[in-house]
Amino acid sequence: MTTRDFVQERIDSLEEREVLLDVQNLKTYYPVTGGFFKRVLGHVKAVDDISFTIRRGETLGLVGESGCGKSTTGRTILRLAKPTDGKILFNGKDITKVSGKKLQQARRDFQMVFQDPYASLNPMQMVGDIIAEPILNYEKRNKKELEKEIKALLTRVGLPEEAYYKYAHEFSGGQRQRIGIARALALNPKLIIADEPVSALDVSVQSQVLNLLKELQEEFDLTYLFIAHDLSVVKHMSDRIGVMYLGNLVEVASNKDLYREPLHPYTQALISAIPEPNTEIRKERIVLQGDVPSPQNPPTGCPFHTRCPMAMEVCSQKKPPLKEVRPGHHVACVLY
Amino acid sequence: MASPSTTIEQQKKPERSLSPWQIARKKYMKNKLAMISTMFLVFVTIMTLLAPFLAPYLSPIPDISKVNISSMNIPPNSDHYLGTDKAGRDVLTRLFYGGRISLLVGFSATLMVITLGTLVGSIAGFFGGFVDNILMRFTDLVLNFPFLVFVIVLNTILYGIIDGLWVLIIVIGVLSWGGVARLVRSKVLAEKENEYILAALSIGCSPAKVIRKHLLPNVLSTIIVQATLIFASMIVVESALSYLGFGVPQATPSWGNMLSSANEPDVLQGKPWIWMPPAIVLTLTILSVNFIGEGLKDALNPKSLR
Repeated sequence: MTTRDFVQERIDSLEEREVLLDVQNLKTYYPVTGGFFKRVLGHVKAVDDISFTIRRGETLGLVGESGCGKSTTGRTILRLAKPTDGKILFNGKDITKVSGKKLQQARRDFQMVFQDPYASLNPMQMVGDIIAEPILNYEKRNKKELEKEIKALLTRVGLPEEAYYKYAHEFSGGQRQRIGIARALALNPKLIIADEPVSALDVSVQSQVLNLLKELQEEFDLTYLFIAHDLSVVKHMSDRIGVMYLGNLVEVASNKDLYREPLHPYTQALISAIPEPNTEIRKERIVLQGDVPSPQNPPTGCPFHTRCPMAMEVCSQKKPPLKEVRPGHHVACVLY
Repeated sequence: MASPSTTIEQQKKPERSLSPWQIARKKYMKNKLAMISTMFLVFVTIMTLLAPFLAPYLSPIPDISKVNISSMNIPPNSDHYLGTDKAGRDVLTRLFYGGRISLLVGFSATLMVITLGTLVGSIAGFFGGFVDNILMRFTDLVLNFPFLVFVIVLNTILYGIIDGLWVLIIVIGVLSWGGVARLVRSKVLAEKENEYILAALSIGCSPAKVIRKHLLPNVLSTIIVQATLIFASMIVVESALSYLGFGVPQATPSWGNMLSSANEPDVLQGKPWIWMPPAIVLTLTILSVNFIGEGLKDALNPKSLR
């Protein structure tokens, strides 16, 4: 079997699986207040009406430039940020409105790997305690057994057993990220939201951590929401990819389709910006004019029309919905 | 040269790493001034705690509450090592008993101030928004109370209801936590931006646990340093109030009470043995507490090289 067949088979098998996470019309607005009485002056529309689904065992990559709301999307799904509107269905259960004890219980099934390995580990805690904490939050456990279990987990993510007794400051960035991954794995979650897990790491270490994440996915049947701004990293990791612009999802397609045939003008511009290692091939780069508009005051109509090389009259009037133009390929653009 | 087997053993040896607290302790032990100050403070504390047992050996009149007309204003001699005061009480014995009160007031008031301040500050900082606003305006209100007037009035009102000493401790404690609350809040605000706080929430910690296990240990170094400085200032406050006559009841000896006898020109000029000992011990104690605070600040700051 060739690699391509293998990939095709994986995609086919994924399509038969049940939907694990269903995000419907999710909006996360942050109020902007001012003045003496903290009047609400407006909203930063960090996530503005996005919908997508992730099937069990699948990796959905989320790309976009900084400030486009991809991290906020991840945090809102974990309910670390408050959703303004919309629905988050996890395994068919609505978790948009739960709070307190119930939210704490729900969080057991989804965990997060954070961006900054230097800030995401408590400097006062021993590594063993960091990883044991999620388990102890939900269950009473025998100390000896737990220690054994955690040491096994440390070995699994590629750290020596002695790491158990050390503190975060004694490790390098890549090793810390492995500790973060071990912490996320400790509860045997169904979904892991990886918020730019490698963007703070050395390129040489990036691939190690990425491959670790892939291996763990196979082994524990994990589902990933993989957030990144690096297109080649997303390509390596994802089964399907969503492209975000200014709080909106502009295109969702399978890995193969998106890179071979990007449909949205923004995606086309992004993909044309990937450096080509072969100097013989001259690629035409689409250079976008201007800056990203402020999410506090987004343009009317299509959010991208102010910079789109193919913008038309209609674009500034009506926001195009995300629709399926080819099997499994969704685009929000009037051109299709 | 090391053989291969020893190098392996050397690698195996550091099984348990030093926690940040252990590193700080090591650093602190190396600070000579802070260590001398610690020893002095421990010595003073032990001596004052042992006062009832030591008193019979220190002077022929160990009872410090009785007035002895026969032995008034005696300069230091072999019977009374530090002389006697104008009521005929042994100064050295009173110095020991007085230390108990001064240190007790200082310690209890500090404990109260730190507990209240940390509680209010960490809750305000962690939850932010509305809770923060309410708590901080309340803190501002407390900070605006005129301290001296309140102490004097409350002391008078509560006198007789609660033991005089505890009135003072409670009044000082209730009025002085504002500064600590602000400090803790600002530290918590900075610390909670770190991703490990988000991580703690996402692994299912309750807000109370996040504050207790993740936020407070990381702001504790600031609180500890602040506590030592407050301890020193609380001893001064007690002495100042007692000197003015609004502090510890006159019958109970404290360093401040002992000093208050120096407001008579005759005592101040002609009988230095009555007020010099408490003044010297007080100064040295406050100085050593401040040195300890300084040493802790260096030890707990990972960036300082000392």
